Amino acid sequence: MLLVAASVVRAENVDLSTVPTRNTVQLTIYNSEDLTLVRETRKVSFKPGANPLQFSWANTLIDPTSVELRFLTHKDKLTLLDATFPHAKPQMVYWNVQSEMDGEAMVEITYFTSGISWSADYLCIANPAETDMGLEGFVRVHNNSGEEYEDAQVRLVVGRINLVQKIAELARITPQQVEELDDTERGKFKKDALVLAIEAPLLTAQSSARKSRSEEPKQVAKEGLGEYFIYTIEGTETIRNGWSKRMRSLEAAKVPLKIQYRYRLAEYGDQLVRMYLLTNDKDSKLGTTPLPDGIVRVFRENGRDGLSFLVAQSVKYIPIGDKIELNLGPDPEVIFELIKLRTWRDNLWMQLHGANVFRKVGEAGVVVQVNSSVVGWDDHTLYTQRVRNYTKKPIDLEVRRAFGGHVVFRSELPAKNHDYQTVEYTATVKPAEKVNLLYEIIQHQGWLAKQNNVTIEKAQVKP
Amino acid sequence: MRYRTLALWSLVAAAISALPATAMARIKLITLPVRERAEIQLDNPGATLVEEERIVPLVKGVNQVDFSWANTQIDPNTIVFRVIAGADGEAPKATAKPAAAKETKPLDVKVLSVSYPPNEAALVWQVSSSDSGSARVRISYLLGNLTKSFNYRAVATNDEKALILSEYMRIQNLANESFGSTGLWAGFGPRFLKPIGINETKEMLVKKFTEVPVKKTYTCDPQAHGYLDRPQNKLLVPMHYVLKNNKANRLGVAPLQYGKVRIFQDDGHGGTAFIGEDWGKFTPLDDEMRLYVGVAQDVVVKRTIDKNQQHRIAGNLFDREVVIKFEIENFKDKAVVLDISENVRAIRNELYGNNGRDIQWELGKDTTFVEGSDKEKSTFEQLVFHIKLPARGADTKAEKIVHKLHLLIKNEW
Repeated sequence: MLLVAASVVRAENVDLSTVPTRNTVQLTIYNSEDLTLVRETRKVSFKPGANPLQFSWANTLIDPTSVELRFLTHKDKLTLLDATFPHAKPQMVYWNVQSEMDGEAMVEITYFTSGISWSADYLCIANPAETDMGLEGFVRVHNNSGEEYEDAQVRLVVGRINLVQKIAELARITPQQVEELDDTERGKFKKDALVLAIEAPLLTAQSSARKSRSEEPKQVAKEGLGEYFIYTIEGTETIRNGWSKRMRSLEAAKVPLKIQYRYRLAEYGDQLVRMYLLTNDKDSKLGTTPLPDGIVRVFRENGRDGLSFLVAQSVKYIPIGDKIELNLGPDPEVIFELIKLRTWRDNLWMQLHGANVFRKVGEAGVVVQVNSSVVGWDDHTLYTQRVRNYTKKPIDLEVRRAFGGHVVFRSELPAKNHDYQTVEYTATVKPAEKVNLLYEIIQHQGWLAKQNNVTIEKAQVKP
Repeated sequence: MRYRTLALWSLVAAAISALPATAMARIKLITLPVRERAEIQLDNPGATLVEEERIVPLVKGVNQVDFSWANTQIDPNTIVFRVIAGADGEAPKATAKPAAAKETKPLDVKVLSVSYPPNEAALVWQVSSSDSGSARVRISYLLGNLTKSFNYRAVATNDEKALILSEYMRIQNLANESFGSTGLWAGFGPRFLKPIGINETKEMLVKKFTEVPVKKTYTCDPQAHGYLDRPQNKLLVPMHYVLKNNKANRLGVAPLQYGKVRIFQDDGHGGTAFIGEDWGKFTPLDDEMRLYVGVAQDVVVKRTIDKNQQHRIAGNLFDREVVIKFEIENFKDKAVVLDISENVRAIRNELYGNNGRDIQWELGKDTTFVEGSDKEKSTFEQLVFHIKLPARGADTKAEKIVHKLHLLIKNEW
């Protein structure tokens, strides 16, 4: 609340004040931190000489060190002399303004508050054939700041900012205590955040009054700015304290999707999962904005005039052009079994006790003494990856398996190294088909283990 | 307090468009669109999706549609509001205005925003309508405490060669919301149209399979089933009914869901006798559902380790030789097939300790299972052999059959 005190010398117990109302207000909300930059403008009448202004924020979560006053009009005639944070009233600041004019001026007050946040979420509805989907993105603004912001221009910052101290924490201590903190980095951050906020023009009183087309969903303008992306919601919004409001931020119909079945232990656990794969690009009717972190809820039209719920999944920030991968979980119509068919050992090496002498077992003409121990050998394991497809469509399969140690992956499968210890192979399984994907793992052990990697060897293996 | 657990209110006031949310009137008129249709989709293994349709009267301009629930576990984040074509397949219609127009125009209805009031199980949609009229809307949401499970009733013929398998879906409604005539679908099988009240449990027959061939198996497996009498080395021999989930065995329509199977047998006198129950595991197509019915005490299997010897190859490297002897007697008056299952790795661990390495082995010349192991059921370390056991003789004496499993365990240290 902004009060203009009626006298230069503040009375102790008897006060008279006027209350200039907010002219415009803009909220710049960061989703990676509990932080919102508020810029509000108010019309204030000044008289020549000293003009005391009192700004207070009882029961809100404003960072007292962030409160700043600027003059938008009559800058040459108005001077901010000092600011005082009274000891007895922690959520208050007094500004002394020296005026050389008699009349009205527009002031801007900026501050950080916590308790306002926003989040993104997405709704995907795939068609019954699962060839494309409708994708809607939403932003939801939550106001638990303790303050009502009426007709506010709302800007949402997508990106991760660095913050060295929580605003909510700062809001709960006195300005005097805040001053004792090492705030070099805080100051730097605040400056950066202010630059972000100031890049966009603040709504004027006239533009604020201009409502958006009230019978159309509001447009959300998206623009990149440095490492961040800013969503600006058309017109103004009123988000009452304690409430949250959800608005559509993007909508795309018939977004093409591809289905792939994947096995990746580290990412999806020990199961074959069904994936919807999309791309956030123009060809996929998306690509206008990065997709902020959020929950994706995936449904499918079940072909019976209804929906089937498939999954709710968190996704991380997806840049423009990047893939969108939705894990639908295991498919009961695709059976995926890894069966160990046979194990054996060969290439056994012995070392004589107490000597640096090595002998290979079974080599012609070599007698291996009793006082020796096995020091090196090869473990062979023959596997079949059995896949049964009971769906009505062919399925694309991608399997990644990691092997520790010095390993040879021997198979005729189309395999490649995903990384130094992970092999990736692919296959297509027709409807009603049962396939056995054979491979042999040769693990060099003990003295024979010279590396820690997997080598792929294209060769036939027999069950 | 709300008079019901789930409600949809439509605030009839076009002027609302001009009002900010904070300026909502205290005096308001609301309509209460009733649920026209409901579908409960139970195809997701971990979630129940409810879809309900209501016809919502809208006025031209911006309308407020309030959806609230009390004491139900609706996940508010999953609520989807869609305006759909009417029951006749057409778009929602504007109210006819005889003087103004002969034909009614389809309504253009858009959701502008959703607001979530604090500390309340409710949300408010702001919906714009191009004209006054009624719109059929479908509201979908995930609902907790409305769950499904499956169970089976199997009635075997007197000769235990076939059975009738009835699969039931049981829906338990602890969601504190009743549904009138509601579509229920499990993701397979028929769609049911049934009412389901609060705290009600409803059981429905999903499918009845008749003349399903059943295989009765007797299995001994010291690792899986253990011993009946350890000091005498007598193995436990459980009896299973085995059903194969494929078309050839008159099943194979869909995977058989996990659930309890109660098994009865035709007693030959027009009645049935309960012979046991087991949990049927989730059984994909072409897989077997094995149901443990009870212990067969008339098939006696004594297992002893007949030979245990090791041969040094070099230094600490050995080949090991193990012979396991099975003495089997069938005291039944019917011939049966016994499945003998042995885990080679477990034998090695039992005799020499677990060195953590996979096992390399081959069958020795003293093995008496002439037909070899069952390739389909055996793995690299689990062996399954089938043995035909004749019925006991006319003198009530059972023939003692002896079999040996001779294993050469190689390259051990």
